[in-house]
Amino acid sequence: MQVAENMTMLDKIYHGMYITILILLALMLFACLIRAIKGPRIADRIVAVNMMGTMVMVMIAVLSLLLKEGFLVDICLIYAMVSFLAVVVISKVYMGVYREKEQEGKREQEKMQEEGGTVGGNHGVD
Amino acid sequence: MEIMEWIRLIVGGALLLCGLSIFLIELYGIFHLDYVLNRMHAAAMGDTLGISFSLVGLMIFSGFNFTTLKMALIVIFLWFASPVSSHMLARLEVTTNENLKEHCKVYSELEELEKELEENRADTEEGGEIV
Repeated sequence: MQVAENMTMLDKIYHGMYITILILLALMLFACLIRAIKGPRIADRIVAVNMMGTMVMVMIAVLSLLLKEGFLVDICLIYAMVSFLAVVVISKVYMGVYREKEQEGKREQEKMQEEGGTVGGNHGVD
Repeated sequence: MEIMEWIRLIVGGALLLCGLSIFLIELYGIFHLDYVLNRMHAAAMGDTLGISFSLVGLMIFSGFNFTTLKMALIVIFLWFASPVSSHMLARLEVTTNENLKEHCKVYSELEELEKELEENRADTEEGGEIV
């Protein structure tokens, strides 16, 4: 949005406030990204990404008021649904993969026992 | 009408500032706590309270129109979605972590937990204070 010359005092305050909030949210988003990269376990990363989604939603809502474009709020609504879906699907898929690997390890162990070999603890899946 | 506009600015700005500080607390919590199941507690706060404060502030700015309704829909949707996603994440963590006992107490049977809770309740009633 261009800063027009004939803006009133109130408009200037609103504009400055929106820009400040966007900058603050961007900084917090960056800190969230650090957590997502550092997080030792997969759940840490998903929690951090979920938090980033929430902050991006606020950013889009602020942007829609700053640019005076109503349709950006629709995008925000869709974003909320997609980020919820992503969390549910990723955790389900990861749980399924983990269980499959666990069962595979058990099957291998049984096979080794049948052959009379020594049993190696082979279930370190992470 | 000029004074009404200023009141709107102050009230909305205060709510938005509340939302931002909730996000800051959330961020502090996520770096301060040291296990996922604890961190989730901090993260869920921003999903409901933080975004509610921020969007209520923005609603006051935007006035009475369809944009306000859509923002309210976002807040209501997140109230339903956030507990579900937290639950899914906790289940993921409990299923995939093999060293869960190092981080928290695990009861394999529900009866054990109920018995311990019953004992604790009896203790508090006798002593009159929470240990």
